[in-house]
Amino acid sequence: MANEKVDVVIVGAGASGSVYASVLAKQGKKVVLLEAGPDWQLTDLISSDFWGRRVKPAGPPFLLEGKNPYGYVYQAGWGVGGASLHYFANFPRLMPNDFKVKSTYGKGLDWPIDYADIAPYWDKVADDVGVSGDAKAEEVWRPAGKPYPMPPMKTFPGGDAWKKGFAANGMRLTPAAVGINSTEYKGRPACIYDGWCHVGCPIGALANPLVTYLADAKKAGAEVRAHSTVTRVLMSADGSKATGVEYYDAKKEKQVQEASVVVLAAWAAQNPRLMLNSAGGKHANGLANSSGLLGKYMLAHFASGTSAMFDEDMQPYMGTIAAQYFSYDRYDKNSYKDKGAFGSTFMVAGSAQRYSALGGVANARLDLFGADLAAFMKRAAKGYTRLTAFGEEMPSLDNRVELASDKDEFGMPLGKITHGFNDEAVALFNANFEQGLAIAKATGAKEAWSNKGPMPTIHLMGGTIMGHGTGDSVTNSFGQTHEIANLWIAGPGIFPTSGAPNPTYTIFALSLRGAENLATNFGAVAG
Amino acid sequence: MDDIQRRAFMKGAAIGTLAFTVGAADVMLTPRQAHAQSVPLRTLTADQAATLGAMGETLVPGAKTAGITNFVDQQLSIPPEEALLEARIMNVRPPYANFYRAALGAIDGASAAKYDGRGFAKLNASEQHDFVDLMRQNKLENWKGPGAGFVYFLLRTDAVDVVYGTMDGYAQLGVPYQAHIAPTKSW
Repeated sequence: MANEKVDVVIVGAGASGSVYASVLAKQGKKVVLLEAGPDWQLTDLISSDFWGRRVKPAGPPFLLEGKNPYGYVYQAGWGVGGASLHYFANFPRLMPNDFKVKSTYGKGLDWPIDYADIAPYWDKVADDVGVSGDAKAEEVWRPAGKPYPMPPMKTFPGGDAWKKGFAANGMRLTPAAVGINSTEYKGRPACIYDGWCHVGCPIGALANPLVTYLADAKKAGAEVRAHSTVTRVLMSADGSKATGVEYYDAKKEKQVQEASVVVLAAWAAQNPRLMLNSAGGKHANGLANSSGLLGKYMLAHFASGTSAMFDEDMQPYMGTIAAQYFSYDRYDKNSYKDKGAFGSTFMVAGSAQRYSALGGVANARLDLFGADLAAFMKRAAKGYTRLTAFGEEMPSLDNRVELASDKDEFGMPLGKITHGFNDEAVALFNANFEQGLAIAKATGAKEAWSNKGPMPTIHLMGGTIMGHGTGDSVTNSFGQTHEIANLWIAGPGIFPTSGAPNPTYTIFALSLRGAENLATNFGAVAG
Repeated sequence: MDDIQRRAFMKGAAIGTLAFTVGAADVMLTPRQAHAQSVPLRTLTADQAATLGAMGETLVPGAKTAGITNFVDQQLSIPPEEALLEARIMNVRPPYANFYRAALGAIDGASAAKYDGRGFAKLNASEQHDFVDLMRQNKLENWKGPGAGFVYFLLRTDAVDVVYGTMDGYAQLGVPYQAHIAPTKSW
């Protein structure tokens, strides 16, 4: 069934799709967002680790291969709001040394833009959605920018305890920048510090799309169609422009949505899956893939966690799942060169703890069970706190998304993600444990230990990277594909390198930059 | 989520219950209540349930009476997109019953091979502890199924869920639950 043609169809109603919808709908464009999962409302966000799993993916799985298979489901989205319905809302930004890695170090890739090109958009996003933090304090690591619109969040003993350990190691901590309200902001209430951010904040104190960009988009007339699974981007006969998308609706009936512009905002792995599945005619190897880089250079962060236990009540049950403090003091990519490592490290300290969550207290000692676990839980209930160091891997052609031979219920080939960390990343992972333990021991904690297990994969990025042209990339710095002017990619897929911080703040900023560019040039771009 | 789905979901979540079948009717119970009332199983066999209950209790004291068997059994009977199991977010491919059947079979097979034909539920507490300690380290011989360490992790999480992940569990630990939208009873 064909629907009335619209100006813009956006595939995915998460962080990046919501920004595009907001900007373009407010410009008067007719916008439709197609979302594969349910139409979640704030009232669906039950404060429970069990019930919180309902907002995680349940669609066709990605097949996972490689030395470090990509564990995506915990962190990915499913439904309106996407992953940012349940994200932690840490809002660190990339640093100037992230944008010219290849030129500076002879490794990785360069971005076609610099820190200064994105900086105004981080500031705009902060005003749009509300960010709490101390921008001035961050200037020990980055160029000056606008102050955040809200003061830093409250801290608790489990966060404050880390200051002593950092100081003893000659390192600095500043209040973490977070997309959570420390005060009432734009009619949304201040946070009540109950620690349930990761299953969704139903009061709107945390900046998820339902209360920020998506709310703005809907108010401006954008339409959201949930349970709508896109399977192909449709192309003109000559392959010069996208004409819309094919999708299956809630009744599993095939539909066509024609549009002047198609924006793929369906997540770093799903966008290349769709583009590969849309191959045909002029684009025999997948859409906008003359570079051969579609689905390549997939990136992930890894995290080295360090635990500390105190006899005192550290109030780990209070606060936000976002960090209370952060540090870029090991952000130099050669910080641990003597250990064979390469890449930046970003450290966060003192988030609220849940007791049965994947990253919760019970899993801080995975070796314990039975009476030993019960005794540990009693002690940790009030005495536990954690430090996490995120590490950066360099882009590799071996880390990729491809189509598998298995198919989903709509006949679309499943995606297969192959991922492995190289030796320098493994060395950084290990170095961060050593550093974390040295800090933890210096806090005066009664016990300190490394939460070392299999090397985790966090925050999938890359796969449709930006660059200068078809020789090195899939899109330009705005997310517009080099080869199909009215086909745009939004989200972390366009990152050529990842830096070490949580990516969503940059996803919002790059999406705002891309959407404003699209809006300005809409007449020239639209098919 | 549409309005009808949401009302049903909210009803269950708000009172902390899941739909169990008693007689011919669906009734809303917490897993603890379902266990206490010996609600009939929907998916697991009696032997599989006995193994799961014994394993849960070995992993986290209190898991059996907190209803781990009824919780997992009920969750395996519903569509995977509604499931609340940790398996959902650990890349286990649906239907999840396939994983649990294979995991419980591997446990009993390895137990029988090590302890003269006795399944895990028939071991004494000391034997069960020793078995789990080997299982978590992938050191059991005659293990045939999903990775033993991964099975340990997922079943341990199920047990942690029913014992510590509830409002009762937080109370037991002496920490406030502080729900925005509360599962007002045990869940």
